[in-house]
Amino acid sequence: MARTESRSRLFSNPRPRVALVLAAALAAVWSARAGSAQAPPSNSQIIITGGGQRFAVPDCIPRAGDEASREACRTITQVLRNDLKFEGLFQFVPESLFSALPPLNPENPNFEDWRSVGANILVITRAQVTGGELVLEVRVFSVDSKQVMLMRRYPGRTDNPRSFAHIASDDIVALTQYRGVARTKIAFTSDRDATKPPRGKELYIVDYDGFNAKRITVNNSLNILPAWSPDGRSLAYTSYRQGSPAIFVARIFEGRSDNITKGDGQAFAPSFSPDGKQIAYASNKTGNMEIWVANADGSGARRITSNPGIDTAPAWSPTGQEIAFNSDRAGTPQIYVMDSEGLNVRRLTTVGNWNDAPAWNPSKEYPEIAYTARLEVGGPVSFDIAVIDLATRQVRQVTSGRGSCEYPSWAPNGRHLVFSCRRGNTWQITVSDREGRAIDTLSAGAGNNVYPDWGP
Amino acid sequence: MKRQTVPVVLVALVLLAGCGGTKRKPAVLTDPAARPSAGAYPPATATPEPEQPVTEGPDTTAIPAGGPTGEDFTPNDASGENGPLEDIRFEYDKAELSDEARATLEKHGLWLQNHRTAKLTIEGHCDERGTVDYNLALGDKRARAVKDYLASLGVAGDRMHTVSLGKERPLDPASNDQAFAKNRRAHFVVSR
Repeated sequence: MARTESRSRLFSNPRPRVALVLAAALAAVWSARAGSAQAPPSNSQIIITGGGQRFAVPDCIPRAGDEASREACRTITQVLRNDLKFEGLFQFVPESLFSALPPLNPENPNFEDWRSVGANILVITRAQVTGGELVLEVRVFSVDSKQVMLMRRYPGRTDNPRSFAHIASDDIVALTQYRGVARTKIAFTSDRDATKPPRGKELYIVDYDGFNAKRITVNNSLNILPAWSPDGRSLAYTSYRQGSPAIFVARIFEGRSDNITKGDGQAFAPSFSPDGKQIAYASNKTGNMEIWVANADGSGARRITSNPGIDTAPAWSPTGQEIAFNSDRAGTPQIYVMDSEGLNVRRLTTVGNWNDAPAWNPSKEYPEIAYTARLEVGGPVSFDIAVIDLATRQVRQVTSGRGSCEYPSWAPNGRHLVFSCRRGNTWQITVSDREGRAIDTLSAGAGNNVYPDWGP
Repeated sequence: MKRQTVPVVLVALVLLAGCGGTKRKPAVLTDPAARPSAGAYPPATATPEPEQPVTEGPDTTAIPAGGPTGEDFTPNDASGENGPLEDIRFEYDKAELSDEARATLEKHGLWLQNHRTAKLTIEGHCDERGTVDYNLALGDKRARAVKDYLASLGVAGDRMHTVSLGKERPLDPASNDQAFAKNRRAHFVVSR
């Protein structure tokens, strides 16, 4: 199937880069100031606009010559470049051009040098390690206006220098209309620590770039289908630790999990509402598999579908007013949408004979739902990630020819997707932009890594 | 779809219970030697098996806690495999019971009658060629189809428990048609 561009209702540009909306806001700020003050706008009011901004991110300069400071700088340089490039919002001056320039004076950069290599925005970083403390300083300049756009100092413990670069990247991206993803985390299921059959599957979380893996569950049972709470402090998931599959909520900073569907038949596939107050899930409590909604502690559970077919895989809309789900009520698994009380059910997907695992784009800018699709009927069974535009019903294929892929989840800003793909003999977490142009396997560790959920 | 077959013992029971007139044809059991007397087969509405020792009945005696009995059996091992009841298979993306599956379940029904302390977990499994959410629901449908059929044979519902494992625990991890066929199954874990 050919890829087709999605067009949101708000933007005619199929791939809005940066800040059409905030560019207007900025103009308003400037015009308001023009009549009253001569001073330039303060840092927080300068906003990166327009799609053609070219960043130069020269190497971090250590404030001292010690090896610890140099090593921290090397990490920060690499991670900050990766973070900023990943967002897909900016262009970059190739680092190979930097060596032709005179040495950078971090206190007083020669903007003509940077203009000569095509840079519009210059990101200068300095770092120093003293004892157990790392201090990162970041200054972002507009090369054209020679103004400081951002100036921040980040002190902290030296344990994880990558996190300093992640914070800096998010602060730089905050100069646009978008929220960066550098500090976000991805939860998933893996069998990497299963030593003997039957192989247990446990939950893990990693930074968005695959580093810094942490194990969440330790029970050698099946722990699958994690779903983040909107505050990033809890994971709802399906666990077999008590025999029957049930919905558990792990409070990850307290190291405890509670079964919220005790005695309620078998329950699968939890999903937090956008306000974090409710959890939708699938349960066979009343016979066959239906969608249920309960309060986040499991109280007040109510069934919202009633159909002899399979109903499962609920996913909330960003407003919390609608729920997308999977049903085979018409003969094959397809994506349906209903309001969050179960009324007004309508079928969404019509292409293909097996569509599952809807994930509603959390950004109101992109009204669309990603899902797992069997698009090529006939031949070996294989699935791809597809996205359906809710306004036009056009379907675009995100993955193609990567082996079977399933279970998409959106980044919090709606600009990237994560899913799992079978490559060779193992399943691995895979990240893509929303068009499917930039796709990479995440280095998330050994074993089979599946069922990712992109968290705050 | 082919008409559901019913073992002769159930028909006999139905007749004994005064509900004659059924048009359903009795089926031929695949293992006639294992067929018990009609009286040994309780109706599907039998009261739950008591937790305390059984003290009456044609073929039971009081069971000392944990001790051997006249109806002893070897439950599945710790891995959940190697139990006394063989798996049944399903077609791709289907939860309907084949004639072969029904015949196997009829044998299982007789075994469960002869081993009245046995409790059964019915696991519904799927091959990997499906999405995780739908496969979990499909495995549930398979397990419930098996439970419903065993109940129709007179096995008390409270002796049976279903669990869907979707595609999470394939019997054969290979990715070929033979493995797929093995993995589309209902698996039986027997415990005391």
